[in-house]
Amino acid sequence: MSVLTHDHIAGQTPNSSNAGGMLLRRMNVVTAIIFGLIFCVGIHYIATAVFVMPEIPEGQDPPSGLVWMLENRVTLATMAGWVLGFMVGIGAFNGPVRWILGKDLTDEDLLFQAGKDQGISRYFRYTTDHKVVGIQYLIITMTLLGVGGTFAMLIRTNLMTPTSTFLGPTTYNTFVGMHGIIMIIATIIMVTGPFGNFVLPIMIGARDMAFPRLNALSFWLIASVVPVLLSTPFLGGMPTGWVAYNPLASQAPPGMDAFVITIIVFAISSAIAGANITTTAVKMRTKGMTWTRTPIFVYGVVASVGLAIPVFPAFMASQVLSGLDRAAGTTWYDPAGGGSGWLYANLFWLMGHPEVYVILIPALAALLELTPVFTRRPLFSFKTAVVAIAGIVGLSVLVWAHHMYVSGWAPDLGGPFMLTTEMISIPTGLLFLVFIGTMWRGRIWTRLPMMAVYAMLWNFVIGGITGVYLSDIPADEAMHGSMFVTAHFHYTLMGVALTGALGAVVYWFPKMTGRMIDEKIGFWGFWMIQIGFQVTFMGMFMVGLGGQPRRVFNYSDMYTTGNFVSTMGAYTIGLGALVFLYTIISSWRHGEVAPSNPWGAKTLEWQVPTPVPLENFDVLPIITEDAYGYGRPASEPKEGSSV
Amino acid sequence: MTDVELVSAPQEDAQYAWWRRKDVKAIFLIWLLLTVIGLSLCWVPAHLMGESASEQMDETKQTMTLFTAIAAPVGAFIWAVMIYSLAKWRYTGEGPPPDDAPEFRTNTPSVLVWTLGSAILTMVVFVWGLLKIAAIPAASGFGLQVVDAPPAMEIAVTGNQWVWNFTYPEFNEIQSDVLYLPVDTPTTFDVTSNDVIHSFWIVQMGVKVDANPGAITHTEVTPHKVGTYEIRCAELCGILHAAMQTQVKVVPKTEFDAWVKAKLAVVPLGPAEPKSVGGA
Repeated sequence: MSVLTHDHIAGQTPNSSNAGGMLLRRMNVVTAIIFGLIFCVGIHYIATAVFVMPEIPEGQDPPSGLVWMLENRVTLATMAGWVLGFMVGIGAFNGPVRWILGKDLTDEDLLFQAGKDQGISRYFRYTTDHKVVGIQYLIITMTLLGVGGTFAMLIRTNLMTPTSTFLGPTTYNTFVGMHGIIMIIATIIMVTGPFGNFVLPIMIGARDMAFPRLNALSFWLIASVVPVLLSTPFLGGMPTGWVAYNPLASQAPPGMDAFVITIIVFAISSAIAGANITTTAVKMRTKGMTWTRTPIFVYGVVASVGLAIPVFPAFMASQVLSGLDRAAGTTWYDPAGGGSGWLYANLFWLMGHPEVYVILIPALAALLELTPVFTRRPLFSFKTAVVAIAGIVGLSVLVWAHHMYVSGWAPDLGGPFMLTTEMISIPTGLLFLVFIGTMWRGRIWTRLPMMAVYAMLWNFVIGGITGVYLSDIPADEAMHGSMFVTAHFHYTLMGVALTGALGAVVYWFPKMTGRMIDEKIGFWGFWMIQIGFQVTFMGMFMVGLGGQPRRVFNYSDMYTTGNFVSTMGAYTIGLGALVFLYTIISSWRHGEVAPSNPWGAKTLEWQVPTPVPLENFDVLPIITEDAYGYGRPASEPKEGSSV
Repeated sequence: MTDVELVSAPQEDAQYAWWRRKDVKAIFLIWLLLTVIGLSLCWVPAHLMGESASEQMDETKQTMTLFTAIAAPVGAFIWAVMIYSLAKWRYTGEGPPPDDAPEFRTNTPSVLVWTLGSAILTMVVFVWGLLKIAAIPAASGFGLQVVDAPPAMEIAVTGNQWVWNFTYPEFNEIQSDVLYLPVDTPTTFDVTSNDVIHSFWIVQMGVKVDANPGAITHTEVTPHKVGTYEIRCAELCGILHAAMQTQVKVVPKTEFDAWVKAKLAVVPLGPAEPKSVGGA
């Protein structure tokens, strides 16, 4: 690591003075929490002092609406204070402030920020190295999945019997909403975060992301807002589910403010990450890596974060308006003041449907990336895969109102939205073809990552078919808002996306941690998750078809069997997840040391040593063909073999 | 890794036309078997939807069966390739396979056939859906007004946290929290809400439309079977969303008239008088 030719380091004028760097070196997650708490408490006191109740005549009660509104103002300000303080404390503003003061970061500062020679402490700092950020994302994803999964277990426990009082209605609704939003955030970041950050730059032959500091910023914004989100149950909860429909949300206690802040910060974070990853993939591919030689995983990640760039602002806007309704007395969503719940629903689903592809595409792309490795076949029809991904992205922004078929909004648009929705099955079907085409006459090496491909295909067939039922308006009229919908989207988001992420983590684990995953135990964890998954959601399909609504804490006796089956399946998933988690932790700590290319893969990340050095490559590689040249002896390389 | 048996032998039958090759024939047989199983089970979703009390529910169940039947051969194909590839092309060595599989990168005919096939299936599903929307007046809670439909009985449905309220404007605004419907009578529901968004759902009639505050939405149904059915709320509306359910009693016309008469006897004619005079 003696040669460091980081472009933006090389561009700096060397500055021997180290006077300004001490603060930078002292900031970490502890100072972030301290600053967060100071800002949080300080702003809370200021807000309480500023937002005071007007004089109320003697003997009268203050109007409850005003009390509620002031409460929301204080809550929103306090939470925003926490996020701001946390970001100050972690050092997010060091670079810009130093730049304004004319004391730009020195080479040593930048190397420090990249985490050079810091060991484990670099994971607790505002570290810019993309590999550190990737590991940080992996940890926060696993944490969120664990918390969201715990909520799922509690929900399923409540639903084991028809009239359970285990959680009670308020807590039940809050937990449903928390499970939803935590899992949505976790699954959005679960592939593009860990693998998009760790693997993608190496895969394209870059030394880091285009904007390393923004990379750290996007991660720490999410980290800062997780405590805010988790405060929801302690602030009266949220009765709305993760969709946070208005006007219901404008009745909700301050727990709802936590949701508002979370979404706003998360949208900023994903915009930053999206700009960063997109720029990296477009501008920083190494010499010779033309678009047809770029690995399919890169396409998947870019499609995902690129799709998030236009759609997440709609979600953010929906929550900004929601916050204004709650704290400033506006009436965006209040019909009595000229607003409309349909406005909220539109803004929400403008994000809400593309978002499922933001989750799905990178997971599928990770599996597309590893399928050739485990079948020793070139990816079947690479260009078809690219077109399919592009087609899904394009159509995904035109289908949002199928979530509103029965809302009464624009009934005449039902037909067009039915058409766009059903058309998505064409590019999606092409991805199936790419998978089975790649498996065709391959040497199917049955390691765990390849098993994820099989499990995913099984689940995707079911998730896809049930999606076609729901796209049909009369059928949706019968099933909208029922457990059938819940089961359907779990088949896609969990059965496909999460399964893909599990495959990805096993596949890239050796490169990211330097150790092999123990597949003997991992096998049991993985298949317990998969089998428990089938049981859970088959039971849920049953009760959904029979007419059990979603998001109910009690249900009619006729659904007892299906729900009991679901709960048993859910416990199996929970157990399997614990086994899988144990596998990851124990393999990480003392697994078998991995060779640099255990799978015999051809993409660039497997050609660098493990552990990957700070700037990935001593000399940037030059690419002459794509990474899928399986099936011919290495002695006779074929020029320009890219499809 | 040395004594590895390669399950996937080189293709000896490559000189034959594709449909005569061993792999293809085996996959075809598995596909056929799975398709037959799928087709013989395609009544299951409709069956699980339970009792039907309206023509629209009948139609929806038909749709479910048809879509399942269309999906069966498609899913069966994917699963057939999966099963066969695991059984026949598996390699179980410790390290990466010592030799690679054949290098072919695409197959234009199969991509074209696949694209065309899925486009045709999509169009079938889409046109079927459009025809159903047009044919069932009840599905045209989506704004399609059927001009020559028989005059329908109107009922105003109001969602409140967490009860349903039904008003019969044609019968002097009588109100009920249980819905009474005369059998075989076209009925229009004008649905609204007093607070948050609810969704009015008659489970066994396959009818659902949101109840929005500040707006009136419509749906229609003709119940064709006497009995008691479920009305539920299908949009999360607060803590007691689960409890927001009531029943619909579909009764013969004479019985319905009797019920109306009894209700009218209790409800004073003319504008309702203020109920509480003293007290405050």
